Amino acid sequence: MKLSGAKALLMLPALLLLVAVFLYPLLRYGWLSGHASSVLTGLRPVPNGGANWQRLIEDVRFWKDAGQTLRFAFCSVALELAGGLGVALLLHQPLRGRGTLRALTLLPWALPTTVMALGWRWILNDPHGPLNAALRSLGAPSYGFLTTPATTWFFAVLADVWKTMPFVALLLLAGLQSIPADLEETLRLEGASRIQILRRLTLPLLVPYLSLALLFRLAQALGVFDLIQVLTGGGPGGSTESLSLYAYLNAMRFLDFGYAATVMLATFLLLAVLLGVGWLLLRRARIARTTGGPA
Amino acid sequence: MPLRRLRAGLRRPPGIPGPLAVGLSALLAAMLLALGVAPGLGRLQGAAPQPVPIRALMPAPLADAVAGPVARFNAKNPGVRLEVIRGPLDTEAISDLAISSLLLGEAPFDLLLVDVSWLAKYVAAGWFTPLDGWFGPEVLAAMEPGARLGNSIGDHLWRMPLTGDTGLLYWRTDLMDRPPRDTDELVAISRDLQRRGKVPWGYLWQGRQYEGLSCVMVEVLQAFGARWWDGASGATALDSPEAVAAASWLDGLLRHGVSPASVAGFTENDALQMFAAGEAAFLRNWPYAWREIEKADGPIRGKVGVTTVVAAPGRQAGGTLGTWGLSLIRGSPHPEEAVTAIRWLTGETVQRQLALEQGYAPTWSRLYDDPELQRQAPLLVVQRAALQHPEPRPLTAAYAQLSDLLTRQVNGMLTGQEAPAAAMASAQRQSLQVLRSMVGTPAAAGTGP
Amino acid sequence: MRLLVLLWSLGPLLWQLRTSLLRPEALVAPMAGSNPWTLANYQLVLSGDPPFWRYLTNSGLVGLATTLLTLLLAVPCAYALQHHRGAWRWGASVALVAAAMFPTVLLFLALLEIARSLGLANSLLALSLPYTALSLPLAVLLLRAGFADLPGELEDAARLEGLGLGQRLRHVLLPLLAPTLASTAILVFLASWNEYAIALTWISRNDLLTLPIAIARIGGSSVFTIPYGAFAAATVLGSLPLLLLVLLAQRAIVSGLTQGAIKG
Repeated sequence: MKLSGAKALLMLPALLLLVAVFLYPLLRYGWLSGHASSVLTGLRPVPNGGANWQRLIEDVRFWKDAGQTLRFAFCSVALELAGGLGVALLLHQPLRGRGTLRALTLLPWALPTTVMALGWRWILNDPHGPLNAALRSLGAPSYGFLTTPATTWFFAVLADVWKTMPFVALLLLAGLQSIPADLEETLRLEGASRIQILRRLTLPLLVPYLSLALLFRLAQALGVFDLIQVLTGGGPGGSTESLSLYAYLNAMRFLDFGYAATVMLATFLLLAVLLGVGWLLLRRARIARTTGGPA
Repeated sequence: MPLRRLRAGLRRPPGIPGPLAVGLSALLAAMLLALGVAPGLGRLQGAAPQPVPIRALMPAPLADAVAGPVARFNAKNPGVRLEVIRGPLDTEAISDLAISSLLLGEAPFDLLLVDVSWLAKYVAAGWFTPLDGWFGPEVLAAMEPGARLGNSIGDHLWRMPLTGDTGLLYWRTDLMDRPPRDTDELVAISRDLQRRGKVPWGYLWQGRQYEGLSCVMVEVLQAFGARWWDGASGATALDSPEAVAAASWLDGLLRHGVSPASVAGFTENDALQMFAAGEAAFLRNWPYAWREIEKADGPIRGKVGVTTVVAAPGRQAGGTLGTWGLSLIRGSPHPEEAVTAIRWLTGETVQRQLALEQGYAPTWSRLYDDPELQRQAPLLVVQRAALQHPEPRPLTAAYAQLSDLLTRQVNGMLTGQEAPAAAMASAQRQSLQVLRSMVGTPAAAGTGP
Repeated sequence: MRLLVLLWSLGPLLWQLRTSLLRPEALVAPMAGSNPWTLANYQLVLSGDPPFWRYLTNSGLVGLATTLLTLLLAVPCAYALQHHRGAWRWGASVALVAAAMFPTVLLFLALLEIARSLGLANSLLALSLPYTALSLPLAVLLLRAGFADLPGELEDAARLEGLGLGQRLRHVLLPLLAPTLASTAILVFLASWNEYAIALTWISRNDLLTLPIAIARIGGSSVFTIPYGAFAAATVLGSLPLLLLVLLAQRAIVSGLTQGAIKG
């Protein structure tokens, strides 16, 4: 069927909006990254050749943040997938009050990130937060959870897992519900244990859902911003700063729009390459499984 | 057959679960109500044929502090209605708010209360109107030397100072006879008191990765004879031996337990709260902290002395200049009325009241000479002394970057990620890179403009 | 096991509830004797300027406007997309998935410029425009999957009866699509309720702030003490509407995701 005029018209408004909000920024950043546009140019763009990109390559902070962002994203997504799978399996079982249980488990995902980031900040407060109060009541000295790089990073990951694991669980639950119950029943009658069912039936059938959750969450985690801004502010000593926070600081606090655009575009490219590679790998794995692997 | 199915399809109920439908419609009703009410209110306010509205954005504590004077201003000037927008408390948060308002192109205010560290950036961005037409050079001449700093850039006056605050040293009169004279004494007294179990901690200050740490750094760098910014060459000098010594001293405070490790996460409030609870001998803070301690019914009320910050033996000390002042937003439709408001708010009457009630340091020399005020505001003598040798932060449009870099490195040092020398060398390297790339020519780094 | 999961997801929230009910002094030091419980934190938050419920209505308003606009644009788009075949549709689907994954924060600078040049700043309804665009990809994917599940002969029959496209959509397809519409609507609403980066840069007026921004900024309300009690009260108040929504709509959310998205 050819693209008829009427149907094209139906898509036009949505298309226009999408182009304005997704495509225009990328093109604009591409243009801005070839310009100096900061307080020193009176916020007017002045062409500066490749100076912004040159700076990016030499900018240790950018590369350090890139490493930190990747580490954060991989760790939290891995934990979210593992935890989400467990929660989904639990929520899939026919239990009494399952609806309410599902709703309550979903709640962290529905809350604004800033809300709970503040909550965590209080829980981790040194010396008045509840965690430190508990430590002191055990006779231990209070601990700087947010002034020690390792624990700050750990709790940033934890807060992200807390917030987004329900989303992963939800996606996987949808996958579980798409598996016909009689397949499972057949396997059980053949004497397969629960672990065997999980390995031979459930997990293979969940692969598309797992891959989707993986790519989706990876993209979101690589762009992590509000959680870091509110919980740690990038500290201590910049050890939790993410690329988006760095881009935000460049734009809104340093008023260096040329460089901010460069950082954002670079972040986007990094993300696109990573996800593209991930997608290809997943597809190849799936094809290999369906053609070569045992049924 | 298809027709029957079609009809069945037509008759089929929408299928939204019952409770959900109820919930959603309730929510919708509430929103519509709010939508209906809000514009109505707006119209009501806008419709009255009214005096010229002047809006000023201020951080919350100062907005509260000037509420009384603003009311009196409005009573005296029927042609103007001055309204203060109460911004967030935190200096960085209110800067973010002001910047996003100004970037959005429709500045919803005429006046902005500007921290001394923002001025160069805002002026370079072209957001202010110079005040020379209204305030001649003789106006600033009537102020204390420190209060005159950080208001002019180039040949223009961009800001009228409202407060003359500098960093101060708070000490416990119940634990020692006199305040320390230099950094060595400060550490020695602290350790002695800690050893004798009088206080858990010696010295509290602001070590979080934020602008407050830059204020601490300015004082410590000065105390060890180092410079952050060399105005002549337009470059930073953070890797000098003196600067490394300064950073090492801060680092040592934590390593040796004179300051708690939690200082690395402290803002002004955290430090003040711990000090007010009687847990330390010394505190670095702004003048307002004294009124806060005296107002609250804490364990150390009446036992706190205030003095100027200390330097290493043989060095000249200087408290960080942390003044606030009013600037006129370019494009304000009513500059004359706005300047009338500036004149009133920065005038002696208002500053006297701020000094009495909140402890903010005045800028006018006459107020410091007033015996009546001296009696009621005992901090005045110290505040005046501090204003003779205050340390400004680097007066450059790139200050926000430089400060962010320095606090990042120093906080990294305080939290054990880097040694002092490495942290300062890295801060210097990155600062030069930022300066070079912002100007666009490699010359600006070391060889001068 | 169930208990463990519940404790994990609700524990931090319950702690916030407890904090919000304690006196500020009781947070800093254990209080001997006197009653540490109070509602003062809620009073403080609700009597602020503007009062806290204002942020809730702001967020609700943006959320509703976004939801309506998204559905309005996504339904025709999804319908048209479903009725195409071949490489073009595959390309469109991949583009939509990519857009659905895009981290919002990377867009804010360009969107800020747009807001400035078109005068869209400080308007809640205008804010729903970028929100709609951000939600559109997912909404189109979900709805397209929904259309795909409808029996094709139904629409053919309606066409034979002489119903135009608009009538077919209104009287035949949409009523059948209602569950998908409902779950899409909820997902869109939640996304807009929680958005941070764009609201942070588009809205500078105090009385127009949305909930996430207002909460992040509430720290400015007090000088001396650190207002964690007030923070907590705000988080509790900010969570209640969502608790309600999720409790009422969890079935719709789960079924909506089951239906589709994955098939793209």
